Amino acid sequence: MFGLILLACLALSLVCVVYPMYVIRPFRAQGARELAAALVVSRYRGMATVISALVALATLAGYWRMQPRKWRRILAAVGASLVCVFAVLARINVYELMFHPIGHASFAGAAKSKLDGGEKVIAVVINGQARAYPIRGMAYHHIVNDEVGKRAIVATY
Amino acid sequence: MWTREVDGQRLTFHLAGINNQNFIMRDEETGTYWQQISGLAISGPLKGRQLTLVPSDELTVAIWKSEQPQGTVLNDVPKYVSEYAKRDWDVRMQRTSTVIQFAEHGMKARDLMLGIQAFGASRAFLFDRVLKEKLVKDHVGAEPVLLVAGEDNQSVRVFRDRIPGVDSAPDFYRLTPPKPGALLMDAATGSEWNFQGCAVSGKEQGVCLERVQALKDYWFDWRNYNPTTTVWGK
Repeated sequence: MFGLILLACLALSLVCVVYPMYVIRPFRAQGARELAAALVVSRYRGMATVISALVALATLAGYWRMQPRKWRRILAAVGASLVCVFAVLARINVYELMFHPIGHASFAGAAKSKLDGGEKVIAVVINGQARAYPIRGMAYHHIVNDEVGKRAIVATY
Repeated sequence: MWTREVDGQRLTFHLAGINNQNFIMRDEETGTYWQQISGLAISGPLKGRQLTLVPSDELTVAIWKSEQPQGTVLNDVPKYVSEYAKRDWDVRMQRTSTVIQFAEHGMKARDLMLGIQAFGASRAFLFDRVLKEKLVKDHVGAEPVLLVAGEDNQSVRVFRDRIPGVDSAPDFYRLTPPKPGALLMDAATGSEWNFQGCAVSGKEQGVCLERVQALKDYWFDWRNYNPTTTVWGK
């Protein structure tokens, strides 16, 4: 029974980590329903994998008390460790590993900018304040949370 | 470009995935997932909510600096500069496959378009052809629009093809050769107009045309989010 519980925890945590990554990946078409399912899994997997890890550890503790043979103990420990690893992996945003967020954005005055005249920017003017976001950088960072003309905006590309 | 305040709450967005090659973002305050191109919340507590579009231009630095000498520009992050898109990224991107195609109107998936969603209709213009024509007069829905290529022959702006307060059709044409600070003239009033759509001389001096928001996008992505779009010239 302990084995079954551990396996169930492992399966649940594996699905939580792998399913969204499988569905939501570049160069693969996403259907509307599978995307919706993958996003629901993504939203709850932080909590689900932590609960799964706690259950796995409690199960391991209970199993060890029964003093089974060494190789069974090791197998159970490996299984529970994997469940814990998945709980950590579930919190990693792989997309921000591929495309690092900009962190603290800094800006230069137009006159001081060393950008070549032919470079392309996305430009906004809000309440009289003008700001430009170079496209080559935006194509990497994808997102910049900013405030322009006292308005909170998100620059996206 | 979107505002990031919903119901008075300021949201902070993170890259969170991809959906048919348009990216998904998640706000850290509510954990809601939003589609980048539409600004629509697609999963989570704020599902169904819509971010407000912030009008923007895609311009060359040369034009932007000439128009906004007091503006500020985002700095590169030195740690990641080596990973930024290369100067010929748009040429390289043309060779990248897409997962959806929409081979309609004879269009190819990565045809670069200028998409306009306004006046109750969607219409897409082949970007390179607009640049070639330099001035395009067309309609989106029932509204006449003007597509104007900048002097850099890379930037395009779209305006409503009517002068505020003037009943007759403006009948714009390009000044050849262009004058400093003036690209167009209208036959109706004889005024000269700059790339910002404002009259710099003539009867309408100081008047500005109404801007129409346009999006530079690949055909497959534009068509995916604008299923009823028409295509100029097709």
